[in-house]
Amino acid sequence: MKFVNFINKLDKRWIYLLIALVVIIPFVFPVGCPMKITPPVQSIYNYIEDSIPENGVLLLGVDYDPSTMAELHPMAKALTYHAFYNNVRVLFVTMFPQGSGMGQDIINRTLEHWNSINPDMPKELGKDITLLAYVPGFSAVILKMGENIPATFNEDAYGNKLDNLSVMEGIKTYDDIDYMVEFSGSSVVLSWLIYANGRYNLKMGIGTTAVSAAEYYNYLQSGQANGLLGGLKGAAEYEKLLTNKHDFSGRNDASVGMDAQSAAHILFILLIILGNITFFIKKHQEGK
Amino acid sequence: MAISTNIWIWIAALLTLAIYSFLYKDNPFYKFAEYLLVGISIGYGVSIYWHNTIITKVYNPLVHEKDFLVIIPLILGLLMFSRFFKSYSHLSRMPIAFIVGAGTGLSIPSSFEFLFKQVQGTMPASLDVGNLIIIVGVITTLVYFFFSMEHKGFVGKVSRIGITFIMIAFGAAFGYTIMARISLLIGRIQFLLSDWLGIIK
Amino acid sequence: MKKNLVLLLISLLFIMLNAFGQDRAAEPMLPDSNAITSETVYLGNILILSDIPNDGGGGIEIDWELNDSLNNYYITIVRREGRTKKIVASDLLASSKQVRDVNSDEDMSNVKDGTEYFYTAILSKYAVSQQILDYLVCDSIDLNTRTIADGYQVYLISDESGPVKAKASWFNPERLTVFVSAIIISFIFLLYLQFARNGKKLYIRKINGLDAVEEAVGRSTEMGKPIMYILGIGYVTDIPTIAGLTILGRVAKKVAEYKTKILVPSYDPVVMTTAQEVVKEAFTEAGRPDIYNKNDIMYITQDQFGYAAGVDGMMIREKPGAVFLQGLFFAESLILAETGHSIGAIQIAGTTETAQLPFFVAACDYTLIGEEMMAASVYLQKDPLMLGSIAAEDIMKVIIIIIIIIGFILGILGIGLHIEFFNKIFNLLIEIL
Repeated sequence: MKFVNFINKLDKRWIYLLIALVVIIPFVFPVGCPMKITPPVQSIYNYIEDSIPENGVLLLGVDYDPSTMAELHPMAKALTYHAFYNNVRVLFVTMFPQGSGMGQDIINRTLEHWNSINPDMPKELGKDITLLAYVPGFSAVILKMGENIPATFNEDAYGNKLDNLSVMEGIKTYDDIDYMVEFSGSSVVLSWLIYANGRYNLKMGIGTTAVSAAEYYNYLQSGQANGLLGGLKGAAEYEKLLTNKHDFSGRNDASVGMDAQSAAHILFILLIILGNITFFIKKHQEGK
Repeated sequence: MAISTNIWIWIAALLTLAIYSFLYKDNPFYKFAEYLLVGISIGYGVSIYWHNTIITKVYNPLVHEKDFLVIIPLILGLLMFSRFFKSYSHLSRMPIAFIVGAGTGLSIPSSFEFLFKQVQGTMPASLDVGNLIIIVGVITTLVYFFFSMEHKGFVGKVSRIGITFIMIAFGAAFGYTIMARISLLIGRIQFLLSDWLGIIK
Repeated sequence: MKKNLVLLLISLLFIMLNAFGQDRAAEPMLPDSNAITSETVYLGNILILSDIPNDGGGGIEIDWELNDSLNNYYITIVRREGRTKKIVASDLLASSKQVRDVNSDEDMSNVKDGTEYFYTAILSKYAVSQQILDYLVCDSIDLNTRTIADGYQVYLISDESGPVKAKASWFNPERLTVFVSAIIISFIFLLYLQFARNGKKLYIRKINGLDAVEEAVGRSTEMGKPIMYILGIGYVTDIPTIAGLTILGRVAKKVAEYKTKILVPSYDPVVMTTAQEVVKEAFTEAGRPDIYNKNDIMYITQDQFGYAAGVDGMMIREKPGAVFLQGLFFAESLILAETGHSIGAIQIAGTTETAQLPFFVAACDYTLIGEEMMAASVYLQKDPLMLGSIAAEDIMKVIIIIIIIIGFILGILGIGLHIEFFNKIFNLLIEIL
């Protein structure tokens, strides 16, 4: 009974401390938990690997801000590297002002790292990759892209006219884009699904935070999205697929976090079981 | 261990720790970091809007490209500010009506298509237990959201199954959310241990 | 003679430009010494031309079928209208199999409806230079003679295809389902609205949580504590915010009757002014305009977590007896609900965000799930026209359930029992949807 009271009255700050330790220790002493690749992640990988021709176009929507960067940034980076390996052009687009910063960060980091490890196959901003300028309007912008992408944006986020960029050659509408993956933790994903996929049949995958992933399984099941990357685990699975095929010597941001993720989940399960046991014992004893 | 010498990484790390200090107790460091976040995000948003909207979509077309049609959406946009003047606040209904009308006209047909895709996705592509569970879940959940009949008898039983499916879905969503929150914590810890302190690579 | 001179000049120009290292989109590699450098290959008729179906006109679709070995070649498409020629596509990989010649914002009369157009395709292993492109569109050059040899690479030329004309479609048959369903749905809505106007009694079931409104307000009054009503972080154009404002009206009326205080911290200034009007009207309706205080409905901040922090601070200071969370919520939902739970307030929440509903279900006493929130505003007001729309929505749900059941039965008979007839009907149903 003493133990039951102790658990019920436990200051939540001790639990915060426990969670912090459980997350930090696996970083310092990694275990290397095994990871299984799930079909929704494999679908996106297979599509980019097999269905986009060389010099094809991959559109990545970076509709998130620093609050969800931890989960979505590793996904966007992994897909950018995948496109680089397959000589696929990458276009970033965003419907949020903060997304512009996210896109630029990904481009800077991936270009710098790629060119350092592959000096014989350099990638160039404006030639292989770019970020389209931020234009407010959400659904209106997505719809207008279906009619004319260069006219919707005019220039890229770096101030270059789109007509002058070789990465934009031959790209007019969604018909000229081979695949899109939308990264977002908000309902912007739905706007892309409704307008770009629903009206213009743009083939799409979704990369989203774990909070929203459960919600988007409907669209995976209905075929509106052909794949789903859910949270940090989804990003880690994609990194694993990439490293299985290529000699990728970068830091796998998502994969290194999986030990900590697993440890935290085990702690939560134990706490939930403990909390429920003490709750029912207390309820039973109060009932007496 | 290779502690960073980059001043911006130090600032980011200290602000991270200031926010996390709230977990112990509310304190001035947390308050400072919170107000800083609010101020910077508003300032950043304003500058993005200025450069990407006002300059690109209003100033350049009007002044450089002499596209005077831009004046019409500009006036509609300015009318939104009339909300703050009591005697003219009724004028703001015009742009709102335009947005709502155009938005509804654009979104309703697309929403129907979206709905049909969902209904199509519910149809069984193969006969297995998974598809059967999906169909039962969809139908019972729809019945739960019937409002024009009382939930008793057969309808009541079906709606109870529906709410069970809803709660199972919420449980899955809750679990995913815990994963998401931990992922965010992992991201920050990674930054602190790797970019700031250099304890891990 | 003249033609050979032109070709020679072009070749020289090309060589000079290469010597100065001009940057071109795809810098061609030098051919090996065994390559044929001066020949034109004839492909025959490879282009399939058609008007782009179901569009507003001004578009031609150009498809081609080629041997797989040519997939990595570049394709250039030249369009001829009378004697005038224009490059429609260049530097396109032949593997893309299709290109569309359409009007654009910059050139709205690029393709004119009713005009005859002819197209020729030119394939090359390396990207075509600007000089060759200029040569191809020269009025004096007849592509039917089909000789392009610049001494640099081999060109493969198709027969000229056409004529083809663009035309606008009056109706897009691909969206027939949407059109028919819009008519059916509108008809059902109008029918039930008419029933409601004619005084037909329309029933709405009890919604859990709404009966607790009176209990919550009463309990707060007894404890001498205010009520807090949180509208979330939506804007006045968001449907959940509108539903939240409607419920606010009912709750504010109850609060006025009990002569207690209501606090409404707002995220958006426009929502704040709307909430002020709603609460003022509710107090007036209850006969207590004197106790209405405009400052009780205040603006906090438009930053998500700044708003959550501000509202949390207010909750801890004011210690409301009841907290209503009705509107559009995102990640701050659990912060708000947990703080409300920790101060011992009775909490009634409602939102349409499925990602946030689990937190409300776990932390609040009553939760209105999704559409229940919309129905709650109807339940509280019992307005006949709104009851009519709820009934019409339920009819649509019945229709969807019937379609799903039909699809399931057809699936069992067609896919499960392999009865071809039902399989065909099932596929037809999928196609219609």
